[in-house]
Amino acid sequence: MTDLLEVRDLTKRFGGLTAVRNLGFSVSEGESLGLIGPNGAGKTTVFNLIMSELRQDSGELFFQGREISKYPTHARVKLGIARTYQVPRPFGEMTVTENIRMGMMPDDLWQMLTKGPQHDAERDIGKDVGFSEREVAMYPGELSMGNLRKLELARTIAAEPKLLLLDEVFAGLTVGEIAQISELLVEKRKQGLTYIMVSHDLRALAPLVDRVVVMSFGAIIAEGTFKEVIADKKVREAYLGQ
Amino acid sequence: MGVLVSLRWWLVFGVGMCLLPLVVSTGTLRILVFAQFLAIFAMSWDILSGRTGYISFGHPFLIGIAGYTTAMLTYHLGVPLYFSIPAAVVATMIGSIFFFIPALRTRGTYFAVVTLAFMEVLYHLMQVVQPKLTGGTRGLSGLPTIILGAVPNYYLSFGVMFVIGVGLWLLIRTRLGTALSTIRMDEDAARSSGLNTTKLKLFAFMLSAFVAGIGGALYTHYLGSIAPRGIFDISFLFSILIAALIGGAGTIVGPIMGAYFLTLLLEFLRPYLPGPERYLIYGAITLLAYYYAPKGFHNIFGLLWQRLGALGRRE
Amino acid sequence: MLSQILIQGFLLSGLYGLLAVGFTMIFSVGRVLNLAFGANIMIGGYVYFALAQEAALPKLPSFIGAVLAGVAFGVVTYLILVRRFRDDPIAVEISTLILAVVMQALIVMIFSPAPRSMWPLLPGVAHIYGVAVSLNIVLATVVSWVVLGGLLVFVHKTHLGRAIRAVSMDPKGATISGIDPRQISLVTWGLSGALGAMAGVFLATYTQLDPGMWVFPLITAVAVVIVGGIGSIIGSLIAAHIIGFMETITTTVIAAELRGVFTMLLIIIVLLVVPKGLFGREEI
Repeated sequence: MTDLLEVRDLTKRFGGLTAVRNLGFSVSEGESLGLIGPNGAGKTTVFNLIMSELRQDSGELFFQGREISKYPTHARVKLGIARTYQVPRPFGEMTVTENIRMGMMPDDLWQMLTKGPQHDAERDIGKDVGFSEREVAMYPGELSMGNLRKLELARTIAAEPKLLLLDEVFAGLTVGEIAQISELLVEKRKQGLTYIMVSHDLRALAPLVDRVVVMSFGAIIAEGTFKEVIADKKVREAYLGQ
Repeated sequence: MGVLVSLRWWLVFGVGMCLLPLVVSTGTLRILVFAQFLAIFAMSWDILSGRTGYISFGHPFLIGIAGYTTAMLTYHLGVPLYFSIPAAVVATMIGSIFFFIPALRTRGTYFAVVTLAFMEVLYHLMQVVQPKLTGGTRGLSGLPTIILGAVPNYYLSFGVMFVIGVGLWLLIRTRLGTALSTIRMDEDAARSSGLNTTKLKLFAFMLSAFVAGIGGALYTHYLGSIAPRGIFDISFLFSILIAALIGGAGTIVGPIMGAYFLTLLLEFLRPYLPGPERYLIYGAITLLAYYYAPKGFHNIFGLLWQRLGALGRRE
Repeated sequence: MLSQILIQGFLLSGLYGLLAVGFTMIFSVGRVLNLAFGANIMIGGYVYFALAQEAALPKLPSFIGAVLAGVAFGVVTYLILVRRFRDDPIAVEISTLILAVVMQALIVMIFSPAPRSMWPLLPGVAHIYGVAVSLNIVLATVVSWVVLGGLLVFVHKTHLGRAIRAVSMDPKGATISGIDPRQISLVTWGLSGALGAMAGVFLATYTQLDPGMWVFPLITAVAVVIVGGIGSIIGSLIAAHIIGFMETITTTVIAAELRGVFTMLLIIIVLLVVPKGLFGREEI
């Protein structure tokens, strides 16, 4: 198996605080990785670094064997990395369909100007994540948290990512909604999508990942299958605090 | 299809305005010329600030570059207008890079202030540096005009405004127009949806400068003169901003409505309030309009239209 | 020439400090630029003019009247405009800009557009190290420093002052500590109005009264905030001195007309190089 993403020796400091410290891990094509750890472990920072929403102080990022540290965010999306946000960030004045459209935009301004939207593809993606005909015409302000999460997934899936970064996709959802999103991810996984998932809901996360990386205070403290890491003494200490 | 239906309204507007010189006095036409130039400037502001949310408080800076470029070329070198006006447009687009660079690092309030600072810098520079070239405080006058007479100037300004209006209105209906508005809503989320926001912003700045350049150059030759106090002025900036805002920012149609409204309001008040109190009432009305409808007339009309539609369906 | 620059720069900077601190307070508490602050300056100048010169009242009551007018204007601006557009700083800025233009029209209507010259608060000239300076400016500087000193004591030593600082650091945190940010904002707008009106009186005696007099001081105040960074009175004072001295040097060495240009260039450079200002807090 080839590595889709490799993170090498990544470090990020905020003033005196080292949020991510000499971090290294990799994800192979088709694999699903769980990234867990207590609050403030630096998980979201790792996502921000992978997406270039923050610049690392040192270390390298390889995507499909290519060093991408110099790529700006949108270029990384075009290479095939996409993310969702812990707090959904839809475009508030656009309908669900229009939000999905933004994930499918060409890079070229001329094409944006001359070619119309691909209505069929937009509708398919909306249906794919479980929106009804009525819901795709709604505005984000009218959607439930579950539907907002779906919208984020739809917009990122529209960009046809090879690697998806999922940040707390289960937070604030009902049990039914969690099941719905899980089902969707299982489906996507079968279709060969690679993803890294950050979640506090370990029960929901466990069946969705092949392997887990545990972070605490910006560093990796354990790595392995879900069962292995959860049995690890260091992990238990990190979660329970001493 | 929806676009075609709406284009019908543009056609009605265009034909109506073309017939207007048959029924109104030349005095009114001269007033409408000012409204149409204001509409061009307000649309230029709108495609940048209304769409992308990068509020410019320094639009007179761009207009001034255009005006001074063509004024100096024609006044000192006798360059013909068909060359000096395109040169002014190009100069304005180059000048807009001064706005674009801060937009890479700052947004919101800070960006607005930088653009205001640019306007003030140019205001002072035009008076002090090389007054022989710029005419100093008094500016340059006796510039060549494009055409003479109220009616031809009315048609010229209307035609230019109409073409720019339809062009920009069609543009904001494309995916490009939608992409530009994502920058206003959430620039980071736009980037992480794969949009090259830097490129989009550059496009918006260039397009805005292009329109401001055309408007500024034609306006200068319509007036036949240019002076720092007239161009780099808070009240001029005020008119542009307010026309776009009370008409409805981000809609292109709104700024046109706003420009006509403001210009006609000021004229309407003239017989009742001949003195300086006219500007007070004028300002107060705009403040009230913005206070109660910060999204502008366009939005109010839109809502009314929806209501009427709903009533129609119910019957 | 050096002593001239030093003395005049120091005097001008004191006045700019007063101007800028009044303006910064609102920015640090509410995160909005009050573009009607220029109108505040103008109101101070014109109310003093009306009371002291047209109504021939004594100077001190006139001065107090001008300051009270400033307080009233600040409070009314807050209650009417800022509360309406609280969530949208750009809307506050635009509406305060409109308000400033409306106030300018009002001033033109009452006092005519012609410039008026104001009598100095304190006539006479002093010689300091061979440099002639008007006593009026010396008085303005002394009053500015006394007021600023008082303000520093106020925000650091009193409960109300601490509450203002708390809101400026973290409005949410302040709320859960039992502070009502709206009340604090109201106080801040009133204080800022007072400082603006005072600065307006001094500026008008320094130059002259005219209905367009508010633009340049407003931009200077914005410049000080940007260069100094938000949330720091001391930072604003240092920035006021940087700008005050820069203007004095430009005026004496190059040309008086260019003094604004360098201030603008400084804003632009600071925003591009250190967007948080020289002494601003880091905001995450």
